[in-house]
Amino acid sequence: MLNIKNLTLSNGDKSLFTDFSLVVDHGEVVTLTGVSGSGKSTLLSWMIGDLDPHFVATGELWLNNERCDTRPIEARHIGLLFQNDLLFPHLSVGQNLAFALPASVRGAPARRQRTAETLSSIGLAGFHDRDPATLSGGQRARVSLMRTLLAEPQALLLDEPFSKLDAVLRTQFRAFVFEQIALQRIPTLLVTHDPADVPQKGRVVEISDWQHST
Amino acid sequence: MLARTLLAALPVLLIFGPLLPGLYWALTPALDTSVWQALWLDAQWPQALRATLISSVLSTVLACSIAAVLATLHYPGPVWLTLQRRLPLLLSVPHAAFAVGLFFLIAPSGWLARLVAQGLHWTSPPDWVTVQDPYALSLALALAIKESWFLLWVLAAVLGEQAVSRQMVMGRSLGYSRTQTWALILWPQLLPRLVWPVMAVFAYGLSVVDMAIILGPGTPPTLAVLVWRWLTDPDPAFQARGSAASMVLLAVLLGCVLAARGLWWLAMRQRPYPNGQRKPATGLAWRHLYTPLYLTGYAVVAMLLLWSVAQAWFFPALWPDAVSLASWQQADWTPFWTTLWLALVASGLCLPAVLVWLEWGPQRLNALLYLPLIVPALPLVAGQYASLLHLHLDGTAVALVWSHLLWVLPYMVLTLIGPYRAFDGRLMTSARALGYSPWHACLSVKWPCLLRPMLATLAVGFAVSVAQYLPTLFAGGGRFVTVTTEAVALSAGGNRRVLAVQALLQIALPMAAFGLAAAAAYGLGRHRKGLR
Repeated sequence: MLNIKNLTLSNGDKSLFTDFSLVVDHGEVVTLTGVSGSGKSTLLSWMIGDLDPHFVATGELWLNNERCDTRPIEARHIGLLFQNDLLFPHLSVGQNLAFALPASVRGAPARRQRTAETLSSIGLAGFHDRDPATLSGGQRARVSLMRTLLAEPQALLLDEPFSKLDAVLRTQFRAFVFEQIALQRIPTLLVTHDPADVPQKGRVVEISDWQHST
Repeated sequence: MLARTLLAALPVLLIFGPLLPGLYWALTPALDTSVWQALWLDAQWPQALRATLISSVLSTVLACSIAAVLATLHYPGPVWLTLQRRLPLLLSVPHAAFAVGLFFLIAPSGWLARLVAQGLHWTSPPDWVTVQDPYALSLALALAIKESWFLLWVLAAVLGEQAVSRQMVMGRSLGYSRTQTWALILWPQLLPRLVWPVMAVFAYGLSVVDMAIILGPGTPPTLAVLVWRWLTDPDPAFQARGSAASMVLLAVLLGCVLAARGLWWLAMRQRPYPNGQRKPATGLAWRHLYTPLYLTGYAVVAMLLLWSVAQAWFFPALWPDAVSLASWQQADWTPFWTTLWLALVASGLCLPAVLVWLEWGPQRLNALLYLPLIVPALPLVAGQYASLLHLHLDGTAVALVWSHLLWVLPYMVLTLIGPYRAFDGRLMTSARALGYSPWHACLSVKWPCLLRPMLATLAVGFAVSVAQYLPTLFAGGGRFVTVTTEAVALSAGGNRRVLAVQALLQIALPMAAFGLAAAAAYGLGRHRKGLR
């Protein structure tokens, strides 16, 4: 369960949010909407632990009953998916996945097998040694979601993950993402400005409700 | 179309063209085997080569290590931002002035020894060789500090890219510490991009003469100093030996580059399959490495300031016994004015050349333009000089300006190319659609929009010209004295006050240029926020 408690974010005298609170349950996808420049990305960067030092934040972030806003990024167990896939260009497709795989899968052969299986499960069998740059946009998007999930995150933040894909791919990839999230029961926060991205019966939070009208 | 490209490339041709026959004339004497035998048997040669190898390799390795450790420890974070803000000021201190200030700091009678003397009650300077040591270690240290600032500045530019900074976040969100993400994700991608800057650092260290005279060993000096002396010797046999030795400098550069390439290839082949081990963050012991790094920069300038106003300042005293402005009042300002007009003309001539090159020139040849930055300067200077001799232009003002352009131009292209490529092409299309010719559209839209980066480019060109030492000596034929040549010449004498004044003037010129450029850019941008 992901829990934001009384978050106030400000930049100098300008405040972005006041007293913002939110609970996201296991397997739930909460959608955060708002016009561009409303501070959606700033909120995500605070949650991940990469807030620009110009901002001041008060409030707490709890994940599965442990406070984690005081921890560094690497100790938060929060997975990230950006609109750009950000696959590491110097590694092969399979190595990108192996990078995320926990160390509990021991030995190169076992790890290689596990990543190859993951690739087959998303329809990319035989793609292990490919250069990520040779993949299509949709293929890269799938690999990058699987990379995030292989690290076994306890929460997921999606920053406009569908906006760079064309209409057909978008529908397919959206269904794929929600299916994977439901399967692994991860609390997820989705940031988007497109109403079509909201999952069925999903909760929507409008960011301006927590902002001062100026 | 072709005519326009040729016209745009004309200034570049004028700068580079005459160099080619010059290189032929300057380097052919080295094709005789007897010259190489003489070089091999020369008594100074083995030690000079050793000093050069130690100072250039050690300084490059150290500079890279300092920059790499600092980036790994502090990026991303507030310390990195502070460092980034302080770099431009440190970078604007020219090499020669830095060497002089460092000499005042670390020499046996320098300020650091005085500091120790306070505690240990010394009454005379210690008997140590802390500068001009036979292994050129002090020269290596000076180069390492100075070049680490440059490499940090290059790194800061690369790390400013969103794609790079996001990969750091991505690596960490997958559970890896900052250090591990650097090692596994960022360095393997960034190192190939840093090849050229590192090569420039190495080439500079190989052929540096001004700093080597101030801080390097005396007899024998480093190979670069030896080459310079041989090339300027009236005896043709020595000149040929100089040509041969300058080819050795080139060979050392090529050899080291190939070795580095090979090591990189091996390292990439040996890279293991990702094992998923997440290690907790470490490296706290090194946390304060950055403080001495920029403190050295400030201390160097402080030393020069103190010596320039010191009247009497005997050994164990930490501060001058009496201060006066006498050194400033009696200062020789001729080098200052020469440097000023020379740098103004050189950067002023280069700006239009850079603009037409970037707009219409053959961009595929940019790599050739950057060659002077990654090749040891000595053979190039010798080539320039040979051409000037054939044209009977040596020792003239025209020759002096021309010789500087070979280094001023590539640095200016390098500074302007980023903003120039980032310019939104649709603005030009709009202007053309409104009926403007390409030339007119450039004059009235593109170039005015790029005025701020152009000012910064001018300042960089100015600073590069101020710092030139070898071209001024060769092409100027000894008839022109700049603050740089004057400071180096004075470093052999005993008068630290006069030396400090010239070194400070050498710092003041580029700093004033950068300050003026920043102020003008601020003034221009005040009412036009869209101009960057």
